Amino acid sequence: MIAVKLIPHLLAALCLLLVLLRCFASRRKSVLLTSVCGLSAGAFTVLLLRSMPVVSPYLLLKSLLGVGFLALWGVSVAVNYRKNAVALDKNEGGIVSSVAALAGTLLAAFAAGGIAIAKLSDTALATFPPVLLLLVVVIVAVIVGGGATFLEKQLSPRVTITPVGMVVAVVALLLFSASSILRLDLFSPLSMKVMKGVHDLVHQSMESVLIPDHVFVRPVVWKYIGFLFGKEVGFWGGMVIWFTPPVLIALAVSSRKLPSVGHIRQGAQRRKLLAGALREQRLQLLLPLFSLCVLAGAAYQSSFPTVEYWDPKPIPVVANEGGMIILPKKGDILLEDGKIHKYLFKQKEREARFFVLLTPDGQLTVDLDACAICKPDGYGQAEGSVICYYCKTLIPLDTVGKPGGCNPVPIPFTVKDDAVVIDALTLINTWGATVQATTRVKEGGK
Amino acid sequence: MKRVIGLLSAASTSPAVTPIVIGLFFILYIVVAFFTDETLIALMELTRKSIILTTLLALIPLGCLCRMVQDIRRYLTLRRCRGGDVAAVATELFDETVELSPQSGFSALEGHLQALGYRTGQQSGVLSAWRGVSLLPAQLLFTAALGCFFTGVILTTTLRSSDRRMIIEGESMPTPGGGGGIVERISLSPSTGAILAKELTMEVGGASAGQRKELFGLYPPSLHGGAFVYPRYIGISLHVRFFSPEIQSGYENHYTLNTFPPGKEDSAVIPGTPYRVIFSIPQVESGTDRYIAYMTGKFPLQFKLLKGSEAIFTGSADVGSNFTKEGYRLELLDARRLVVTDFIRDYGVFFIWAAGILLIAGGCVWVPIRLFFPRQEMVLLVEAGQFRASSRAEGRSRAHAELFHETLDFAEGAATGGSER
Amino acid sequence: MSPYIIETGGLTRSYGDICALKPLDLQVPEGEWLSVMGHSGSGKSTLMNLVGGLDRPTGGTLQVGGENLLALTEDGLARFRRNFVGIIFQQHHLVPYLTAIENVMMAQYFHSMPDEAEARHALERVGLGHRLKNRPGELSGGEQQRVCIARAIINSPKLLLGDEPTGNLDHKSTIMVMELLKELRGEERFTVIMVTHNQDVAAWGDRTIHLDDGMLVREERMNCQ
Repeated sequence: MIAVKLIPHLLAALCLLLVLLRCFASRRKSVLLTSVCGLSAGAFTVLLLRSMPVVSPYLLLKSLLGVGFLALWGVSVAVNYRKNAVALDKNEGGIVSSVAALAGTLLAAFAAGGIAIAKLSDTALATFPPVLLLLVVVIVAVIVGGGATFLEKQLSPRVTITPVGMVVAVVALLLFSASSILRLDLFSPLSMKVMKGVHDLVHQSMESVLIPDHVFVRPVVWKYIGFLFGKEVGFWGGMVIWFTPPVLIALAVSSRKLPSVGHIRQGAQRRKLLAGALREQRLQLLLPLFSLCVLAGAAYQSSFPTVEYWDPKPIPVVANEGGMIILPKKGDILLEDGKIHKYLFKQKEREARFFVLLTPDGQLTVDLDACAICKPDGYGQAEGSVICYYCKTLIPLDTVGKPGGCNPVPIPFTVKDDAVVIDALTLINTWGATVQATTRVKEGGK
Repeated sequence: MKRVIGLLSAASTSPAVTPIVIGLFFILYIVVAFFTDETLIALMELTRKSIILTTLLALIPLGCLCRMVQDIRRYLTLRRCRGGDVAAVATELFDETVELSPQSGFSALEGHLQALGYRTGQQSGVLSAWRGVSLLPAQLLFTAALGCFFTGVILTTTLRSSDRRMIIEGESMPTPGGGGGIVERISLSPSTGAILAKELTMEVGGASAGQRKELFGLYPPSLHGGAFVYPRYIGISLHVRFFSPEIQSGYENHYTLNTFPPGKEDSAVIPGTPYRVIFSIPQVESGTDRYIAYMTGKFPLQFKLLKGSEAIFTGSADVGSNFTKEGYRLELLDARRLVVTDFIRDYGVFFIWAAGILLIAGGCVWVPIRLFFPRQEMVLLVEAGQFRASSRAEGRSRAHAELFHETLDFAEGAATGGSER
Repeated sequence: MSPYIIETGGLTRSYGDICALKPLDLQVPEGEWLSVMGHSGSGKSTLMNLVGGLDRPTGGTLQVGGENLLALTEDGLARFRRNFVGIIFQQHHLVPYLTAIENVMMAQYFHSMPDEAEARHALERVGLGHRLKNRPGELSGGEQQRVCIARAIINSPKLLLGDEPTGNLDHKSTIMVMELLKELRGEERFTVIMVTHNQDVAAWGDRTIHLDDGMLVREERMNCQ
C-alpha cells in the first residue's frame, strides 16, 4: 500500500532526475550523486521535522514550492525579454555555472524526496524501525537515480534540454507531486487567493472610478460583474497563473527570431539553416508542453483530491422553551471524540448549520458550518485539519474556534451538567448575518 | 558619463520596466497575503505610506513617457533614412540587415520592388521601399494609456480622500466644507440606460441667494466643491419616539437606516438601555420593483423590539402611525429618503478615465492597420562600395522577409548577370 | 584534402554468390562528369547505388565527399543522401497526384523545408515555368524528366546521379535534357555520374568508364561537346 502511494511521487522524481541529468549532461556524475543525496536528505529532513512539533515540514516544503513557482514565473517572463539569450539555447557553462547547477539539483531533489515521504502518514511510517526506514530511503533514492541514469542513456542525443526547459519541467513535476498532498498543494490555495484578489481588485477598481453600487446597476450587468466574485473566477484565474509560465516559455521559444539567412545566396543552405532552427525550436517546445500536461495533472489532483473527508450528515436539533439548544457530551454521540459533529437547527423558515469539535488542545468549540468569506458549503475533516469545501482551504484543527479568514465562525456556548448549551437566537442570527454577507459575495455584492 | 547616460536611457525606455514593477508589486502582494486577508487594501495602504513603493510605481508612467519619446525619435530617424540620410541608417532600427559585396543598379531594383507592391523613393545612394501604414499612432496611444492609467493609480492611491456623509431630504447638503444648500428632493426612477437600472437624482438648492440649483446624479459623478459626489447606498432617515415600562417619558431620535433593498435589516439602539429595534421594509410581491417604497417615499416598516437577546414583540406599521403592545409604544413620526454619499477628492480618476479613452482609441487604430496595412520597409544603400540592405516589418513579417530575400536574390542576380525571373 | 569527390578501393558488392561489382578502384575529381557504360547486368546501377548511398558495399572502401559511407548508420546514410546527392531515374518516380511544383517542394520538404518561390524558380530554370500546376500525367516525357532534374538539383547537391535519365526519351528530348544538365552543371558546379548504355549520351561527359560483368574494363576521356 505504501509503495502504491509512493509510485506517482517516485515517477515524478525519476522524470525530474532524468531532466536534470540531460540538462547538465557534462556533469552527469556529480549531478547524479547530488540528486541521490538530495532525495535522501529531503526525506530525512521531513522525517526529522515531523518528530519536532516546533517547525512544520509542510511549511518548509510549501515555501520551497512557492519560491520555485515564483522563480518559474520570473524565468518565463525573463525569457520573453531575452528571446535570443544564451539561457534559452545553451545548457553548458556561462549562465548556469557548476555551483548553480549542483545547488539547483540538490534543492530540487531535496524537495522531491521531502514531498514523497510527506505522502506517508505517521501511522504508516511507524510500522518501520527508524534505522530500517533510513536505509529504505537511501536504497529507493539510489534506485531512482540509477533508473534515471539508465533512461537518460536511452534518450536520443538530439534531445537537448536547456536550463529554461529544465526549470519549467522540474517545478511542474514538483508541483504535481505535491498536489496530491493536501497540506502541500499550491493550486487550491492559489485559486482561493485569486478569488479574493479578484474580488478586491474589482471592488477597488469600481470604487476608484466611482462606479455606482449594485443597487443602481441592472441585474443582468451585475450578473456579469458578479461573475468576477465567484469561485469560478478563482479557479480559472488560478489556472491562468498556474499555466502561464510554461505557455510564456513556449511562446518565447516559438517566437524566437530565426537566424538571418539574407546573406546566404543558395536556397538549399538557407532552407537547411532555417529548418535546423525550426527543428531545434520544436524540440525545445517539448518540455514546456510536457510541463503543461504535468501541471494540468496537478490542477486535477488538487481539484479532485482522493482524500476522504469525515463529513457526517447534520443531525436536526431543537431549542428548549428558554431558546437554548442542549447537546449532551456523552450519549449516542460522543462530542469529545475529536471528530466534527454536525447539527441543523431550524426555526420557522430560518435554519443554521453548525458543528461541535474537541480540538487537539482539549477545548470544545462550537462553530457555524460556514465561514465569513465563502459560500456556506461547509467543512469536512481530514487528518489534522478541516477543509472548507468551497475554497479548499485547510484549517488546522488547532485553530478551529478562532475567528477570521476562512475559519468556521465560532458561536458562544456554555457547558452545563455535561452538556453543551447554545443560545438558539444567537446561533440563527449569526448564521443569518454570515450567510447574508457571503451570499452577497456570491451574488457579487460589494 | 556618456555610458551612464546611455545606460539610464536604455533602462528608462526598456519595455521591461512595466512588467518588472508589476511583478515586484505582485510579489509584495503575495508577501502581504501571508499576514492579512485584506491583502489589496493593505498593499494600497503600504504604497500610500511608502515613498519607495510610490516611486517604484511612478517608474511606469515615467518609462511610458520615455518610450513615447523614443518611439517618436525612432520614427523620425526612419523617415530620415527614407529621405536619404545615410548616417541615420542604424541596424538596430531594423529586423534584419544584410551586407552584400556586389553592387546592383538601383533602377532595376526599384522596378522590382514596385512590381512587388512597394512604394519606392531614391535619394543620394539610398533606395527605400515601403508599404502600409505605421503603427506609431496606435503605439503612442497605448503607451499613453498605460502611463495615464498608472498616473491615475498613483494619484488615487496616495492622494485620495473620502468623506462619507448622509444626504437627507429637507436638510442641508453635508459638504465637507459646510455651507451646502438644502436638499430639496431625492428621487429614484427607472433608467433606460444599458448599464444602470435606476436614475438617482439629488436636487440641491442654492446655498445662498442667487446661487443656482444643483443636480447630482449617479454617473459620471458630479463635482461639488472640488470633490466627487459618489452615492453609495440608499436608506431612510427615520424619526422615532419610543416608550417602555422603564422609559415612561419616551425617547426620541432620528435614525439613519440602511434598509434597502426591502428585507434588509438595520437596527436602532436606544442608548443606555438594553433595547434595540430592528427595522426592515417588507419584501414586495415578486415582479414589483423592490425600490417602490423609495420611489414613492411611502415606507411601511416591519420592526422587532429586542431587549438584550430576548425578542419582546414584532410588528409593522406605516410611517406616521403608532404601535402599542404590552406597555411598549413605538411612534414612527417621519421618514425621509437619504443617500449615503462619499465625497471624494481624487484627481487620479480623470487619468484613469483618460486611459480608458486612449486605450479604446488605440485599439481602433491598431486593429485595422495591423490586420490590413502593416508597415513593411526596406532600405538599401551603397556606402563605401558596400551594398547594405535592411528590412523591418510591423506585421506579416515572414511574408515581408520572403520578399526581402527575393529582392536580395534579384539584386545579386542582376549584379552578377545571372538569371532573372 | 583529397581532390576527389569519390574514391573507392576494392569496392565490391555481392548478392549471395553473385558478385555484381568486382573489386573496383575509382577516383572521381570534384566537378567531373563521369559516364558509366556497360551492358545490362554489368554493374552500372550497382555502382551508382553504392556511390549514392542507396546500397551498402560488401567489401572495399568508399569515400564520397570526404564521408566514409561504410561507417555511416542508416540515419547517417539518409542524411548523406539528403544533403549530398541528387538522383535522376529513367522512370521519373514523380508522385502522380502532385503537381510539378509540389513534386519539387516535396524534395525540399525531405531535405529541410519547402519554399514555393525557390521551387518555382527551379522549374523556371528547367524551362517549365508554364507547367507549374500540371500533374506528371499532363506532361510529356521530356518535361517529366525536366521536373526530375529540377527536383534533383533543388537541394543544391554536390553529386548528381543519373540512371539512364534519357532512356525513355526521343532524340530531341534527350538533347534538350542533356543540354539542360550541362548548363546547370556549369552554374551549380556539381559532379555528375551518368549511367547509360547510349554512346551519344555518354559522350556528353568528361570521361567514360566501361563496366563488364562487374569489372572496370575500359576508360576513355571525352572531348567536350
